[in-house]
Amino acid sequence: MADQANFEADAMQYAGQLYSAALRMTRSPADAEDVVQETYLKAYRAYGSFQEGTNLKAWLYRILTNTYINKYRKAQRRPQEVELGELQDLYLYKRLGEQSGASMSAEIEALDSFVDEDIVAAIESLPENFRLPVLYADVEGFSYKEIAEILDVPIGTVMSRLHRGRKALQRKLWNVAVDRGIVEPDS
Amino acid sequence: MSACDRAIEYIYEYIDDELTGTHKTRIQWHLKRCGSCMDAFAFETQLKERIATGGRTEPSEELFDNLRALLQQERQTQDPDC
Repeated sequence: MADQANFEADAMQYAGQLYSAALRMTRSPADAEDVVQETYLKAYRAYGSFQEGTNLKAWLYRILTNTYINKYRKAQRRPQEVELGELQDLYLYKRLGEQSGASMSAEIEALDSFVDEDIVAAIESLPENFRLPVLYADVEGFSYKEIAEILDVPIGTVMSRLHRGRKALQRKLWNVAVDRGIVEPDS
Repeated sequence: MSACDRAIEYIYEYIDDELTGTHKTRIQWHLKRCGSCMDAFAFETQLKERIATGGRTEPSEELFDNLRALLQQERQTQDPDC
């Protein structure tokens, strides 16, 4: 059992990451800070039941995710399950490849042309059931097992949402690249 | 299924470091031999890194101050003699 007196020393190091994740979820700095505050209060109160030596970061993300879902899904009767339609594998890589022919460096250069706001816009454009797995894998670096625990879904569900979510993210990045003139639109 | 199809099928599990044992070894061997799969793996790896850096927003110092103040207040509410 963890000692509540150590909570601040143990948990404060994750506040920045949790805020960033909350911001991608809520898309609003004020709401993100609110969700993080509630997460830390709940985690502090429950810290006696946290098993010391287990994964504190994943435990905090689970509380964060539940706090976000309870606060922002209340208006909806059911969680929103959006489908994305079929997209080819390696969507962005292949689309960029059609442009540059055989040159690999052009594809890497296109990646360098994206600014952080493009990446943020692409992540935030994803429907929630795909956004959270992509966020947790790509930005937070969690393993599939950890994501399954945080979201309370089977690992197979994590993998399939991650796979489809990444393709949708790549399509959005492709559209951003077209809008910003990094690549030529389809003729 | 060709060796290339197999490598691409497992590309994300490989990049996410979720593959172990013979699966991982055989893909590593394939990538040494196959330039076009290697390019695709290199691209997806760099894209993941770009999303990791671009998707992170640093909070203000105020966030930490506010959280510490909030926890302080919660402690006082639990134990008024403190």
